[in-house]
Amino acid sequence: MKITIKLTSVFLLFILVSACSSDDGTVMQEDFVVAFENPSMSFGATEAEKDINLVFSTAATESGSIDISFTGTNAVYGDTEDFVTVPAAVNGVVTVEVASGAENASFVFKKLKDAVEGTEKSISFEISSVNLMGGMSNGTTATQVAFEETAALGGNLAPEVGGPNQPNQVYVDLSAQNQTSINREAWDLAFYNGDEFRVAINGSLYMAVAELDETNIDAVTAEQVADLQSSVAVGTFDAANTVYVDMPNGDINGTAIQEISATDTENKVYLVNMGSEIGTTEPEAGSVSTSGDSRGWMKIRVLRNDTDYTLQYAGLDDTKHKEISISKDAGFNFQFVSLVSEGVVSVEPEKEKWDLNFTVFTNEIEGFGSYGYSDFVTTNTMGNVSAYMINTETISYGDFTISDIDEATFDADQRAIGSNWRNGGGPGTLPSLKEDVFFVVKDGNGNIYKLKFTALVNESGVRGYPSFEYALLQ
Amino acid sequence: MSVRILSLVFSVVLLYSVNAQEKRDSTRTTELEEVVVTGQYNEQSVDRSVFQVKVIPRAVIDNLAANNLADVLNQTLNINIVPNASTGKSGVQLFGLDSQYFKILIDNVPLINDEGLGNNTDLTQLNLDDVEQVEIVEGSMGVQYGSNAVSGIINIITKKSSIHKWQVTPYVQEETIGNEYGLFDEGRHIQSLKIGHNISDKWYVNGTYTRNDFAGHLGESKGQFYELNDGKRGYEWLPKLQNNAKALLRYTGGKFKAFYRFEYFDEEVSRYDSLVRTNLNSATQTTNPTASDEIFNSQRFNHHLNLSGKLNRTVNYDASFSYQQQKRDVETYNYRIRTKEKFDKEGFEYESRKGFYSRGTLNNLFTNDWSSYQLGYELSIIDGYSSSLAGDFETNNIKRRLESYDVFASAEYALNKRLSVRPGVRALFSSKFNPQAALSLSSRYLFENGYQLRAVLGTSPRSPNYDELFTYFVDINHDLRGNESLDPERGYSAFLHLKKEFWAEDSQWSLKSKLSTWFLSVDDRIELTIVNTNPLAFQYNNIDSYKTWGLSLTNALSYNNVQLSGGVSFSGQSKTLESQMEFNDDYLYSLQLNGNLSYKFPKWNTVFSAYYKYTGKQYQFFQDQNEDGDVIFIKGEQDQYSWLDATLKKSFYNNKLQVTLGARNLMNVTRVNTISAGGGAVHSNPTSSALLGYGRSYFLKLLYNLNI
Repeated sequence: MKITIKLTSVFLLFILVSACSSDDGTVMQEDFVVAFENPSMSFGATEAEKDINLVFSTAATESGSIDISFTGTNAVYGDTEDFVTVPAAVNGVVTVEVASGAENASFVFKKLKDAVEGTEKSISFEISSVNLMGGMSNGTTATQVAFEETAALGGNLAPEVGGPNQPNQVYVDLSAQNQTSINREAWDLAFYNGDEFRVAINGSLYMAVAELDETNIDAVTAEQVADLQSSVAVGTFDAANTVYVDMPNGDINGTAIQEISATDTENKVYLVNMGSEIGTTEPEAGSVSTSGDSRGWMKIRVLRNDTDYTLQYAGLDDTKHKEISISKDAGFNFQFVSLVSEGVVSVEPEKEKWDLNFTVFTNEIEGFGSYGYSDFVTTNTMGNVSAYMINTETISYGDFTISDIDEATFDADQRAIGSNWRNGGGPGTLPSLKEDVFFVVKDGNGNIYKLKFTALVNESGVRGYPSFEYALLQ
Repeated sequence: MSVRILSLVFSVVLLYSVNAQEKRDSTRTTELEEVVVTGQYNEQSVDRSVFQVKVIPRAVIDNLAANNLADVLNQTLNINIVPNASTGKSGVQLFGLDSQYFKILIDNVPLINDEGLGNNTDLTQLNLDDVEQVEIVEGSMGVQYGSNAVSGIINIITKKSSIHKWQVTPYVQEETIGNEYGLFDEGRHIQSLKIGHNISDKWYVNGTYTRNDFAGHLGESKGQFYELNDGKRGYEWLPKLQNNAKALLRYTGGKFKAFYRFEYFDEEVSRYDSLVRTNLNSATQTTNPTASDEIFNSQRFNHHLNLSGKLNRTVNYDASFSYQQQKRDVETYNYRIRTKEKFDKEGFEYESRKGFYSRGTLNNLFTNDWSSYQLGYELSIIDGYSSSLAGDFETNNIKRRLESYDVFASAEYALNKRLSVRPGVRALFSSKFNPQAALSLSSRYLFENGYQLRAVLGTSPRSPNYDELFTYFVDINHDLRGNESLDPERGYSAFLHLKKEFWAEDSQWSLKSKLSTWFLSVDDRIELTIVNTNPLAFQYNNIDSYKTWGLSLTNALSYNNVQLSGGVSFSGQSKTLESQMEFNDDYLYSLQLNGNLSYKFPKWNTVFSAYYKYTGKQYQFFQDQNEDGDVIFIKGEQDQYSWLDATLKKSFYNNKLQVTLGARNLMNVTRVNTISAGGGAVHSNPTSSALLGYGRSYFLKLLYNLNI
């Protein structure tokens, strides 16, 4: 009996060992991979020094160092020459210390002499060795520093949309590699700066407007419009409700508010559904909560005053309206007005200084009317930015080069990226990153980038943490 | 794992002791009449019952080596087992109605689960090791069993006695899951021990422990450590580990009987999300894949005290008191796949039900030659809880107490020797719904030539569920709400059964035949309805209706050592969907066949059995548009499939050791195609598939009977 048990356990042990060795989940000892954060960097006219960042694949498990070599084009290292670094280079090598536990490192680049007009002046840094256990460089192993403003070669950006409530609209400039963020509730109406006299509404708040038959704003009462109110909203699943919102393709001639006429009597009063406040509840990981309480209702009327706009506005039941005068500024697509702070506010960067806008968006589902989207990306079509999508079945992101660009495909619809970069989800499935597509984006200066989204959520699966990488096609 | 080692050691010990014990035990073959409990005043034979009770005896459970209720029911006519691979649960569909309309009881007491009392039961959570037989009654049984007994009930009768002083029954069962099997991380591994003891003439005690380790089925999936985002991470069938302990103490006095039964059940289900977040670090071009996983842990406690006896010479009473609880907790976490690291770990209660239940009857009241009466009550006080993860609610979670107080009465009249009728009525009062009534009328007529005719009419309401009551899904694009003022749905059924037993004069063979027809209807069905078109808003309302009718013929032949049975069922379903703008309420018909063959080789102490069930094409209407944009209805169909199980059971050493070798799902069914459009449709609607099984599987069961 005892012997049997012993034999059995020996036998079992044997099985156990063989079973474990066939286990496919063996942990791979991960390498410690180092790269430059971005493949290029350039100096504006007034800038003198910048950090050059290095990122790691994982936190360093020990302390060590990274050696970086460099070669200059019309530029020489030295205190009396073109540039120096901190820490200083020794024999043409910059050694950056890595502390145990660190997830990144950096060194300082100091520009000493500007470039001479017409000559290229740049330094190319390259990681020559990573002096840590399992250390290696991969990915962006080199970075180019230009002494004057140059279009970025690419890199990666994480627009700060602000998590699952998506409180921010984020304007991204690819060539300058920067982002500008503004709270969605900062503005309500956008007055067009181009030739036409047009007014757009803030679709990121799900605003909606309806033209009334009245031209006297003070005569409009809540009672008069009561029947209309249930229809003047986003997401009512009424195919006809698109008349209450701006055309989602971004065409300025498709705004819900008719063109402002020079003849005042032709400019009707509009009922304004102010949309929803930014959501405040924390949804389950992976979901969004973009809309909160209703922002209520107002009435407006817009008039032309020579080349300016005059905005009349009031609460629905007010019998006395107020006015704001808005002057056009050709440097921007729009002038923005907040009916809450009752004045002109600064929202968008200058029209040539942004390419993409990450925003909550009022889109349309054909046959069902307006529909609210989160994680939306619009292109600055008014600033001549256009884009198109490519499926990786056709060609991979890595293989795509300048010769693969199809000029005819660039889409002038501001939704060329839109929500095409994510899977929509549905009952029981959450939206997710679409990994089999990437985009080609042409900016107003003719720089063409390929752009691939790398995240819709953060590491914990929380929505509102998008990121993408991109590279200049040249 | 140590348990598994123990069990293997245990089986070795077992083999040893078989050799050691050569004591001869006279095999008692007692030919017992089939006795049923469900819906009866007293335990009585199937033939005397005014209800038509289908019995799945212990022998069938053993032949199928069925460990839980799902293992055995998929061979039954009119029942479809509906597995849900994403939750690991298996529900039942009877007459096309899901498990909300169907009640599961143990010894006449509805069994609690995390979503209800009796209904919504996960069949895989019902272990059968201490079960004497399973009784199935089709049709609305509101008078006997209250609400949610619309399509029928299953009453599981546990074993409460033994002829032996001591009875020790350990067994181990090793099963492949499809073609996946491994000693530790694949396959299904069951270990069980049952001990029964007659303490004295009056006292009997037994205890059962079963461990069921279902390691999940990968199929096309690649398990929890897979790091690519191509939908292949995780399992096709979720891994599930169950522990089940039960105990029973029974007292049998002269006029008084009592038993107390206790059950503890524990289950862990792991769900590994197929969605992998790559977390690409663009600079280093490295990834750190993460996923969001969940581990569900269910626990059930079940206490049941039953008292029964005689008040006087005829009147007997039967009362059950039960406290039950089932709670499902969830641990949610994010997982770094490469480093096998859990983070963002959170644990909370997912769903639960707990509460007190009691049912009592006084039987054979005012009994005389031709009539007797039954009076009874049933009450339950159930506290329910549902977290925000289990549904979309306006508040973070739902807490609700549902109290039900029912009284019922029925009478049985033997109008003459041949005809007996049994009318019944129940009044249902509840803390949440308007009072309801349930009615029943059963009758039995015995023809002179041995034919028996039964007509059974019944009703039962179906209470709204939490989704229907409390859903709140309102955002900029949606407005979908529950409705707290919903009424219970109303179910009605009418059944007609004609039965006859034929046998040879020398008792060489016998044939039992039964022809049944039925009509079942559910009115005031709760469905999402458009309550406002602009803006579009949905709400649950009592609006639709459902009808089904059918015919079935079953035959069971017994000839010497052969048992042969076969059945055919043909039924149609019609849905009136007032909740939709347009609908098609034509009847859609489907066919089911089943058959069973058992052959006993007396010389070899061996029984061979095969169970077969064919489920024909099932149809459903889908709405579509033709070229002119008019709404048309397309008959979508689900493919036919067959289920075939076969086993060989051999007994050694005077039945002391039983070896069962078998195969489940021999037709290798995994998924069936569901086509939602015919050929001529404008849009080619996609073909999807419904998951039914994990393919052909084999098992070996070693069972030892130690009877002293």
